[in-house]
Amino acid sequence: MGITRREFMKNSVAASVAASAAAVVGLPLSTDAEAAIAQSEAGWQWDKGACRFCGTGCGIMIATKDGRIVATKGDPKAPVNKGLNCVKGYFNGKIMYGQDRLTTPLLRMTDGKFDKKGKFVPVSWDKAMEIMVEKFMAAYKEKGPHGVGLFGSGQWTVPEGYVAAKLWKVGFRSNNIDPNARHCMASAVAAFMQTFGIDEPAGNYDDIEHTDTAILWGANMAEMHPILWSRITDRRLTHKEMKVVNLSTYSNMSSDIADLEIIFKPSGDLSIQNYIAREIVKRGAVDHEFVKKNGQFATGPYDIGYGFRPKNADKFHSPAEMEVVKNEQVRVLDKWEAIGQRRKEGDVVQQANAATAGKDWAISFEDFAKALEPYDLDYCVATAKGDPDESDEAFKKKLVELADYYCDPKRKVVSYWTMGFNQHQRGTWVNEQCYTNHLLTGKQSKPGNGAFSLTGQPSACGTAREVGTFSHRLPADMVVMNPKHRALSEKLWKLPAKTLNPQMGSHYVKIMRDLEDGTCKWAMVQVNNPWQNTANLNHWIKAAREMDNFIVCCDGYPTVSAKVADLVLPAAMIFEKWGFYGNAERRTQCWRQQVKPVGESMGDMWILLEMAKRIKIKDCWGEQKIAGLKAPGFEDGKLPSVIDEAVKMGYNPEASLYDALFATPAHKKAYPWPDKVAKGHGNHIAEDLGWFAEKAMFEEYRAFGTDHGHDLAPFDVYYDDAVRGLKWPVVLKDGKWVETGWRFNEEYDPYVKKGQGIYFYGNDGNALVMGDLDKPGDGSVKVKLDGKAKIYFRPYATPVEEPDTHFNLWLCTGRVLEHWHSGSMTRRVPELHRAVPNAVCWIHPKDADARGLKRNDLVWVESRRGKVKVRIETGGRNRVPRGLVYVPWFDESVLINKVCLDSTCPISKETDFKKCSVKVYKA
Amino acid sequence: MNLSGILVIATPEWVETVVTELNAMEGIEVHQTDPVTGRIIVVQEATDIHAEIEGVKRIKAMPHVVMADMVYHYFADDARAYDAMPAELTEDTQVCVPAYLNT
Ligand code: SF4
Repeated sequence: MGITRREFMKNSVAASVAASAAAVVGLPLSTDAEAAIAQSEAGWQWDKGACRFCGTGCGIMIATKDGRIVATKGDPKAPVNKGLNCVKGYFNGKIMYGQDRLTTPLLRMTDGKFDKKGKFVPVSWDKAMEIMVEKFMAAYKEKGPHGVGLFGSGQWTVPEGYVAAKLWKVGFRSNNIDPNARHCMASAVAAFMQTFGIDEPAGNYDDIEHTDTAILWGANMAEMHPILWSRITDRRLTHKEMKVVNLSTYSNMSSDIADLEIIFKPSGDLSIQNYIAREIVKRGAVDHEFVKKNGQFATGPYDIGYGFRPKNADKFHSPAEMEVVKNEQVRVLDKWEAIGQRRKEGDVVQQANAATAGKDWAISFEDFAKALEPYDLDYCVATAKGDPDESDEAFKKKLVELADYYCDPKRKVVSYWTMGFNQHQRGTWVNEQCYTNHLLTGKQSKPGNGAFSLTGQPSACGTAREVGTFSHRLPADMVVMNPKHRALSEKLWKLPAKTLNPQMGSHYVKIMRDLEDGTCKWAMVQVNNPWQNTANLNHWIKAAREMDNFIVCCDGYPTVSAKVADLVLPAAMIFEKWGFYGNAERRTQCWRQQVKPVGESMGDMWILLEMAKRIKIKDCWGEQKIAGLKAPGFEDGKLPSVIDEAVKMGYNPEASLYDALFATPAHKKAYPWPDKVAKGHGNHIAEDLGWFAEKAMFEEYRAFGTDHGHDLAPFDVYYDDAVRGLKWPVVLKDGKWVETGWRFNEEYDPYVKKGQGIYFYGNDGNALVMGDLDKPGDGSVKVKLDGKAKIYFRPYATPVEEPDTHFNLWLCTGRVLEHWHSGSMTRRVPELHRAVPNAVCWIHPKDADARGLKRNDLVWVESRRGKVKVRIETGGRNRVPRGLVYVPWFDESVLINKVCLDSTCPISKETDFKKCSVKVYKA
Repeated sequence: MNLSGILVIATPEWVETVVTELNAMEGIEVHQTDPVTGRIIVVQEATDIHAEIEGVKRIKAMPHVVMADMVYHYFADDARAYDAMPAELTEDTQVCVPAYLNT
């Protein structure tokens, strides 16, 4: 007795922490503490959820009382985080309550009418939808299905992404839909597809507790995946053999516990990986049995360009920009590029394979080994040593040690990477090189052994990749260019043949370029911020504001993208709606609506469905011209009218896309609202529509992956109180839904047959033409790929823009721990804002000195493309080498993407945000 | 009243030192300790919500502390929450392109 409420609360808080720590080490809970919890949380309703932020996918618990979120905590039952949260995760409950939350639709108007130069005026949803659809139909009629675009997101929930993809690809017959995940995961996707024939990592986070070595390649996990980092830290402290290696272009927080830190020059990772492969071969560390059974050596063309506009670039770029962009046509090889590609310095190379960058062919092991020959330690010093103040010998010694880890047959190794590999002019190559080293040594698809691509966004895997919201994709790893995939999708969607458009749509950066050159005239933004996240921003701001385009931005806050839009729609945020996210270890997890949306805001899915209500089948399914369309069966360059066929199948051309494709009688009957899975929680979308759209869409989507290696459990299974997400493929075994820990491994993966051991089934049925290092053969010899992964040789390539006498520093961009992406949510949480209020430019003290600058000085960071004003930092958490500066991109007052180069990996079309050249001078 | 629950991991040999230092810090109470794994459970009370985050940073910076992460946060109402919103977030969005986007 006599215990105060404060003491109760404190005990309760301590108990919650113990509960999480208990999951890790078994700290017991006292009965007092248990009692304290019960008392202090009286009237709170706890429910499970997933963190809104990074791709780690931590489980959180959310408490609501009287319609408000009162507390959040790490979920002790979540296998990912075992009760821990990072500083961002901890504020999940607060991101919805920024002072400037958008609460009504806003349209630019003058005198009561839409005016592109007008001011934002609140309008009704009805009025907003009316003008939006009017503008949409005008662009659609004038330019065709590829005259409209949708910037989607790896932060869309799974059902949202599915509705978006279906509305665009089926309803509008347009493949111009691409998520911001293009900026973050596309290179990983391309490399997975090329190497394994199926997307996403083989392993899972439990690799951490099984491994002896964590090697970070361009992944500052301490800041970007903090909870995984705490698991690695824990392993490092408790497992004697454990080594941590941090490879980066600058020293960061992940170096703090690293046993080995290697600072490399931008693009030097290509050389270092080839050096490791060369060592594996030279030292006899190749696991020949594994390679023979599971691998096929392969390569591809080197003359693939840099992902700029393929033609007429000079119409849009300044002469200064053209100094770099001209390399898209012709490249003059420098010394090291020439050596690494077996050419001569000064060779003039036409970039003949810019449009066919992804083609590949088989090679022999002998050719593979020959190609690696130039990549010795001296080559690495020349192309990869990133710290000018480090001695050559010291650098070489580190590389030898790194190679030791990969070569040691007894040592388990996991390689982790994120944006350092993916945002790379040769992003697909560098991902593939990493698989090469794991495949050569047989360290793949086994607990504690594997190359593990981490994701940045909470549902880059679940929504962007698995649902297939990219301009080339369909659900479950299928692509629009493949006639078989289209036929299968048309069957599942019950569509007339040839409804789906076989022409790949515009990728993210290309939608921007299309807006600039007038190919596309209408674009919608959902759950992301294209006018902050896309490189070379000055072009795109102009395209939005000065061209005759109509931009719709759906967001909870007035982001930069909202500010340059014509219509802003207030979007419901995370716990104001139901949803599923899929994290980096293939874990699909869900949450319920916890609170009502603020103001008049509505979920993104509702916005899409509301749009679908206003457009009819006959508006879209007639004959459509598609620029550049080339596909068998579409020889006239048009999509045929499918209306007659649709009528025969029972469609009514006068029906809205909503009634025909989404709110079908079958769906309304099978998925009514309310549903007992809600357990009393609301659903603002279902309450408006009268049926449980999230569930219907999830179940419809699930059909694509079932029996195709992407199986998901039924909707309700994920909502079971005992379930904390499940790693696909999830299959029914003895009446239970069982997840898959390690894919391609007989012991764990239901798709691998007994006796197959390790088996890469993604490439079953595929074959490669045999060739040599320089070209594919005549096609007479083909090698089958059943059960095999490709082991690629990929050469070093010099970055397309390098520091010179004028722009004399490298610029690298990225994130900080405290903020999520463009900061639109985290900057509105006072605690996080205060922690890191503004972006700074990290610069080496000597580089600052040489420019007459001191810490905190305001400077201009300027490139050929634009400039921003920012304060410099010479200390703090990042220590950059001389010659490189680092600026995070979360801060909209420091729009660093005005400065960045919009060069992409030609295979994946993912932008390289990690290297371009700039100058820094006093502002 | 602003309470946060923090899990601290210290190098096991130094657990006692870290605990003593933590107990000496204002607003901090050590609730449980596991000397074998170096785990320490701490509750932090701050009169001002803005001090919370600083508190964790302070713990992180202590010698022999391997990691410190907030696990639990009790939400307290705070009227001063938005007194320092960044200018560009509060700037008039009524112009076609806000001035700071134009430089
Ligand atoms: S931001 Fe990432 S690491 Fe932090 S709590 Fe959320 S999911 Fe976990």
